[in-house]
Amino acid sequence: MNDSSKTNNVLWKSIEGLNNDPNIQKMKEDEFLDGVTEDFHPNQLSGISRRKFLALLSASAAITATACTDYQDKGEIIPYNKRPQEVLPGTENLYASTCNGCSLSCGILVKTREGRPIKIDGNPDHPINEGKICTKGQASILNLYDPERLKEPLFNNRKISWNDVDKNIIEVLESAVQKGKEIAILTGELTSPTTKKVFDKFSEKYPTTKIYSYSTINQSTRSKAWFECYGSYEFPSIKFDEANVILAIDSDFLVNEDSYLENMRLFTKRREVVGKTDFNRLYVAEGRMSATGMMADYRIRVSPDEQYNFVMSLVNELSKKGSNIEFDPVTKSMVSSFSINNFSKKIGKEKLNYLIDDLNKSRGKSIVYAGSTLSKEVHLAVNLLNEVLGNSNLYNYLNESVVILPQSSREDFDRLIDSMKNGNVDVLIHFGSDPVFYLPYDFEYQSSISRVKTVISLSESLNESCSLSHYVLPLNNQLECWGDSFVQTGVYGLQQPVISPIFNTRQKESILLTWISGSSSNFSSDNYHKFLIENFTQTVYTKLNSFSDAKRVWLSSLHDGVVTLKNVEKLHKKISQSWIPLLKLAKENSGLTVHLTESYFIGDGYFANNGWLQEVPHPITKVTWDNYAALSPLTAKKFNLKNDDIIEVSVSNSKIKIPVFVQPGLSDKTINIEYGYGRKVIGDVGKDIGINPLQLISKNHFETKNILTNASINKIDGTHKLVTTQEHHSLDDTFVKDFHKIRKIIQEGTVEKYQKDPKFLHEHKHELFSITNEHTYSGNKWAMAIDLNKCTSCAACVASCNVENNIPVVGKDQVGKGREMHWIRIDRYFSGSPEDPIASNQPMLCQHCDNAPCENVCPVNATNHSPDGLNQMVYNRCVGTRYCSNNCPYKVRRYNFFDFRDHFADEYYQNNLTALVNNPEVTVRSRGVMEKCTFCVQRIMDVRSTAINEGREISPNEVVTACQQACPTNAITFGDANNPDSNVAKLRNHNLTYHVLEELNIKPNVTYIAKLRNTHSEDNS
Amino acid sequence: MKKTVLDYALKIRLPLTLFVIAFSFVLTYYISRAERDGVGYSPDQPINYSHKLHAGKMAIDCQYCHIGVEKGRHALIPSVNICMNCHTVSRKDKSEIIKLTQYYEEGTPIPWKRIHKVPDYAFFNHSVHVNKGIECESCHGDIKEMDKVSQVRQFTMGACLECHRNAHDNLPYLEKVNKGPEHCWACHR
Repeated sequence: MNDSSKTNNVLWKSIEGLNNDPNIQKMKEDEFLDGVTEDFHPNQLSGISRRKFLALLSASAAITATACTDYQDKGEIIPYNKRPQEVLPGTENLYASTCNGCSLSCGILVKTREGRPIKIDGNPDHPINEGKICTKGQASILNLYDPERLKEPLFNNRKISWNDVDKNIIEVLESAVQKGKEIAILTGELTSPTTKKVFDKFSEKYPTTKIYSYSTINQSTRSKAWFECYGSYEFPSIKFDEANVILAIDSDFLVNEDSYLENMRLFTKRREVVGKTDFNRLYVAEGRMSATGMMADYRIRVSPDEQYNFVMSLVNELSKKGSNIEFDPVTKSMVSSFSINNFSKKIGKEKLNYLIDDLNKSRGKSIVYAGSTLSKEVHLAVNLLNEVLGNSNLYNYLNESVVILPQSSREDFDRLIDSMKNGNVDVLIHFGSDPVFYLPYDFEYQSSISRVKTVISLSESLNESCSLSHYVLPLNNQLECWGDSFVQTGVYGLQQPVISPIFNTRQKESILLTWISGSSSNFSSDNYHKFLIENFTQTVYTKLNSFSDAKRVWLSSLHDGVVTLKNVEKLHKKISQSWIPLLKLAKENSGLTVHLTESYFIGDGYFANNGWLQEVPHPITKVTWDNYAALSPLTAKKFNLKNDDIIEVSVSNSKIKIPVFVQPGLSDKTINIEYGYGRKVIGDVGKDIGINPLQLISKNHFETKNILTNASINKIDGTHKLVTTQEHHSLDDTFVKDFHKIRKIIQEGTVEKYQKDPKFLHEHKHELFSITNEHTYSGNKWAMAIDLNKCTSCAACVASCNVENNIPVVGKDQVGKGREMHWIRIDRYFSGSPEDPIASNQPMLCQHCDNAPCENVCPVNATNHSPDGLNQMVYNRCVGTRYCSNNCPYKVRRYNFFDFRDHFADEYYQNNLTALVNNPEVTVRSRGVMEKCTFCVQRIMDVRSTAINEGREISPNEVVTACQQACPTNAITFGDANNPDSNVAKLRNHNLTYHVLEELNIKPNVTYIAKLRNTHSEDNS
Repeated sequence: MKKTVLDYALKIRLPLTLFVIAFSFVLTYYISRAERDGVGYSPDQPINYSHKLHAGKMAIDCQYCHIGVEKGRHALIPSVNICMNCHTVSRKDKSEIIKLTQYYEEGTPIPWKRIHKVPDYAFFNHSVHVNKGIECESCHGDIKEMDKVSQVRQFTMGACLECHRNAHDNLPYLEKVNKGPEHCWACHR
């Protein structure tokens, strides 16, 4: 038996599936989930709502009216009066800008059509994200068209004009200064140096101003640890591409932490199967199961509260084998008190020995990296370990982090809240931040806010802080804003508006500038624009030593979206060891440890009202529209818990009730909960979705951050249905037991095996033949290749596809019925034991089979084949028999059970504003038709017409699909398989390629490159 | 057996009536087909613009005004500023030009009546056709002779495919012309 089939023998999708749960078995037998086809009884449907009634009324009136008019009438065609020079209707414009979705400030390219933004992609010129953008960034375009954006300034929930707002607030500010009362500005993490300058000017004009900065996602512990070691808060980025061995300590550095787009790119440079297979080896030591953990060659289960001891014992063990730095005598004795023996029992001797051996062998060529949710102590220990191993040459001092405004400390907030309570704060300005939601509950911020005379919230949409404010001032969306960013040394990003404000909103800096000017009449819509140019000229232009004048440099920089500043690499400093004596062996905690991590897709809650992001299945559990407490199978058994049960999690004085999800691979001591959910004041989409675990964080955790030890759980009555797409659209067949195992859907090997025998995958291949003549493709033949070595399951492809192809949001109840509409999904398989599984990911989309089984069952020929190898789906012909979906072995066809725009959340996304997000090149499908991946045919046709217009052939790699463009690791390749120069044609002939369900001889055109694991044996461990 | 009135009605009157109804329906259906497809549609426009004068007599190139035709999907109805390239000086005293100038100065776009239309699920691209050398007249008729534009040919899928299948016969002036694509996603997606 070959080794890859050995792994496949234990392939499973969920614990229920592994245990042959009868419900899952039934799910696989039936084409549709329970109740999917039975809910169409007219008398069970809700009555006609008022809105629907009015819509019907107006529709019938419209029909009557049309009947009386000229039936030949085709309406009007309205050209511009004065056409803006750059806008040619029907063609797209791209503008470079900067994303404000999180503090990474990636460079973006915004695609606009007729002046409206329709797609966000990465800016290829940006040195950090190099043309890629994450899932959140992709879907953030929906925020611009959110029907519940704030549209007008409000004063005590009544509309008020901007002029009155400015006049009143300037008065309040001036009187506060006169009385010597504090003006407090609370902001999130600041990424813009020019905004900082606005703050400085504001403090100059109103001297009693104090500025506070807080964000739940931050690098403060890493930064502080760096300061104690090297005397600087600004830490370097890591050259992950140069590391042979990487040890990630509870860090999701590949998918959801720090500069993950950059990390992903650098990491997968060493996962290239074309040419030399010079793989790195990834060890992940973590308590939870992260997407990075799924990428690991060796995953080690260590609870986050034990990480400090773990790293220190590694320091001890490895320094015995030689150290790159001299230890002080105190350090030496400290370090020797940590023993690795405690861990070798838990982790298993073999894995641990591999780890120590590998780190020892690749000194100077390895890196240990700790997660940003960990405490300062772990970061200190990690810095020390890297020094012991001599890994400091992998620090990239050319791109250091920049701290524009440091996070405020616990003391700062204590002081602020004390003065609020004492009535010493007159004005409170929430500068785009939501402290009521984010600040630890026992600061009592919420209750002290009533003592402040004037509370002003600047926000894009209603949030928890707005509901307690006197003034609620609506802000521009990021695509309506000017701005800049400076988050890594050497890279200065610029942000430009791509649409003028849709509503009566203003930019937050512009509001402050008006107040600084001292008179409401001084407002002009371009005041911040001018301020930005001025600051650019003073600070950036002078550093560039350009021969051109400032204006020209400004315009060309704006065009590029990013300025690269020359940077002198700092010399590496010696690590200070003065902090070491303060550290002791961490106490062993007997209780459970709660690890709070940022949600993969809705971030810290900023994106909670974005339906696209709520509906992207979680990378590991595939749960949508919810968060949950993830427990290991053993812990769940111990407490007699199963999925959907509700538990009460208590940490010291605070408690939350949250549903359980049993997550294979978790450490038995860890409870992993994602935050960002449980927003109470937000739009209809995100309201009351999930539970807010931030309620568990007290101010005592300000330093230890998101690791809450000594937690206890107890089961309480009731259940909450969690909806997971994991067992939906399974590639299964009732007649073939253990389908995945036999049909080799996932094929893997190890690097060692591949190097010994490059053709190992094709050892047992059968010759396939067809009884009919094969069709030949003489022109282009479109095909895709997906490299499973590089897929991190980040789901950027899913979001990008949603935006590009007008995919609707269906809502939690519909996902529960298996009606999610995503054209591309990422299948996750586990192998091995439920306690310590090995994960395999596989993006699955329409395979555009040459002999497509869907085509010959369609009674109306609505799906058929094009001469360039595409499996076409024609919506107007489709009558909705769903035979095609039934006959599709990959289960990638999606049926519109409703007009989902109309159906979801009472027509939430069915309005003139949200309609603007639709891609005009793609049909918006209505109820009753089948749809599926088109290989972005609109992009193929666009390239084709350009080639025709220019009188040339399509070049081999010219067509780029939306998923390919988004994929941060370039795992997806697309092109013309008939052109031997194309990347995809080369990959199709690679030794590691296989097709899923090849033996059906349906000739799929999506080729998968088998994943190689860089383990120590020829066998997958 | 006695012949009743009912017999007569059933055996002769009814089939006759049905035949007449069916025949007239079929006849009307075919005769009116072109009209229902919009052939001959020639609505009054907000400004009485003459293609015969501009494109015919003065022989202004089509692309002077329809600037998108080579570049993208839409040929584009010219924006008012294109008209004003000439009409800031020429024929300023004419009533239609006064109307035009008024539109320009007020900044309001001109609500032209739409004449040619393909349904919105068909993605027609002007540029690929024009760049292959197909003349505007092949679809839009002899625009140079029209004072008021009217639709001359049908814009149905059948009409598109007729030309895509028999390109040589329909476009005799093009020496080298391939058949057009006939698969669904060439136009629908």
